[in-house]
Amino acid sequence: MTITAAPQAPPERGIRYFAAQQTPWSWVTLGIGILALVVLFAGTVAILNAYGWTQVCPPDAPQGTCAPTDPLTEGLLSPELGALAWAVIGIGAVAGLLALLRARIVPNKQAKEAAIAGAVIGIQAAVLAGVLLWFRSAGVELFARNFLNIRLLGDFFPRFVNGAKNTLILSFLGGGLGMILGLFLALFSMSKRPVVRAPARIYINFFRGTPLIWQLSFAGLGVVTAMKLDFFSGIDGPYRVAVAVLALNLAAYSAEVYRAGIQSLERGQMEAARSLGLSYLQAMRFVVVPQAIRRVIPPLTNEFVILIKDTSLVVVLGLAFSQKELLGVGREIYSSTFNATAWLGSAAGYLIITLPMIRLVTYLERKLRSGLTSVVG
Amino acid sequence: MSEAIVRLESINKWFGKLHVLRNVNLEIFPREVLVLIGPSGSGKSTLLRTINMLEEPTEGRVFFEGQELTDIHTNLNAARTRMGMVFQSFNLFPHRTVTGNITLALEKVLGLKGEEAQQRALEQLKHVGLADKAGAWPSQLSGGQQQRVAIARALAMHPVVMLFDEVTSALDPELVNEVLLVMQRLAAEGMTMVVVTHEMGFAREVGTRLIFMDQGVILEEGPPREVFANPRQERTKSFLSQIL
Repeated sequence: MTITAAPQAPPERGIRYFAAQQTPWSWVTLGIGILALVVLFAGTVAILNAYGWTQVCPPDAPQGTCAPTDPLTEGLLSPELGALAWAVIGIGAVAGLLALLRARIVPNKQAKEAAIAGAVIGIQAAVLAGVLLWFRSAGVELFARNFLNIRLLGDFFPRFVNGAKNTLILSFLGGGLGMILGLFLALFSMSKRPVVRAPARIYINFFRGTPLIWQLSFAGLGVVTAMKLDFFSGIDGPYRVAVAVLALNLAAYSAEVYRAGIQSLERGQMEAARSLGLSYLQAMRFVVVPQAIRRVIPPLTNEFVILIKDTSLVVVLGLAFSQKELLGVGREIYSSTFNATAWLGSAAGYLIITLPMIRLVTYLERKLRSGLTSVVG
Repeated sequence: MSEAIVRLESINKWFGKLHVLRNVNLEIFPREVLVLIGPSGSGKSTLLRTINMLEEPTEGRVFFEGQELTDIHTNLNAARTRMGMVFQSFNLFPHRTVTGNITLALEKVLGLKGEEAQQRALEQLKHVGLADKAGAWPSQLSGGQQQRVAIARALAMHPVVMLFDEVTSALDPELVNEVLLVMQRLAAEGMTMVVVTHEMGFAREVGTRLIFMDQGVILEEGPPREVFANPRQERTKSFLSQIL
């Protein structure tokens, strides 16, 4: 019996192999789909740039005759943009049709995937163009004036930076303190003694069962205004209360994360440690907790991302001007300018902070999971 | 014979409504290799684990070196340093190196200095033939190597008795022997051992006394060769006929 030799190298992969497998038709479909999307974005930006985004109104302009966003409104409503949108819908439809007509006669999987990708991208571009047309049919002028005054964001940039700084301070102080407190809460909540366990459970359930905005409001009114505790009074009082409540709140959530992590360890780890003569506390400290912390880093980072966004709830405390965080800054600018573009600035600030954190969670999950399999296997 | 190292007095253990150990009495003497066999669920592992109080007996008393472990005033941690235990699933600490696994208790429990602990760890690793793996992580070792590290970790405490809980059951067949050889040599050196196992060859060759348990009761006891050759109880007979 002859045995065919095993292939010497793994089958080819990668972009070059993918390109080599394409047919003219699949290239054309993919190209047209991408073209639709590029035309939509590049064309829209080019047209809006040509008309301009904002203008400076002369101070003596009569009320209602000049808005900073007039050029943008004009660009959005321009016939050029309308034509562009219809053109994109046409190109997208062509990509979709091509894929539909040729899908059954492509020679291989790579060509089929390219054609499908072209069709999907083309249809996405067409749908976006449709949304643009729909948007043009509504109150563009008022919307642009109130929400798209980009100039405002530039004017108030330092305020936003200060807001981001406060958001980060609140997040890291509250998060750091909360995660330390949470570890102890988790250990207490797993005690075999009811008298130790019960208070921890009550604490955790209370803070997980009531809204953070209630906790902040109650602490603000009850502790700062009514009790006037030394540490929590004066100009820094509300800020300190904010950190304290965020920490207390996160402690409850992180305690549950720690608990899950500790309970996910095999019982044998504790038993092996105890059989060597380590006390319960030593076994926890040197064997169980170090492993559990490694396991809970991704979910804990996740809780932290949630906390970053939840710092926005401290607006109920009425912080001083320089203490305002991102949402507070946005609200303040809105109330002084009556222009809602400030909200966009807040959103941008949050995204700049949270997106890298979200990436970090994904990265840590992948990295630590691979570590975990080697731990188990 | 000299005085028993371990003495169990009328041990009863319930898991909820399940009566796992029924009035078990047992003495273990120095230099003995006591082998516990029996069907699964017979209580042999539970019995082994009551010796170092990983399972607290519901009733009855446990003595170790004349000290009553079931007395709440006894310092269990101190007693446990003199009893080594090896588990079915190795239970190495995955976040510490091979040496780190061994030195942890040496440093934190016995209070040895870093250098001294390292020295002792290396000594024990040589003993189980793994000196070259001192810096490795547990996850880099085969099951047999991990189990030998676990044995070294227990031996490093210089225990007077070693407890083995089905230590080869989780191993691939070709890795069983390397672990059994280490145990055999340990027995030859005169270590007192209690071994729960399904390895009947080991029980026969290395064991000095065999105990057959079923449903929480010690049914039969004697020199391994005798019990294997002439089991007195019907239950023992049928168990042995099924596995031999």
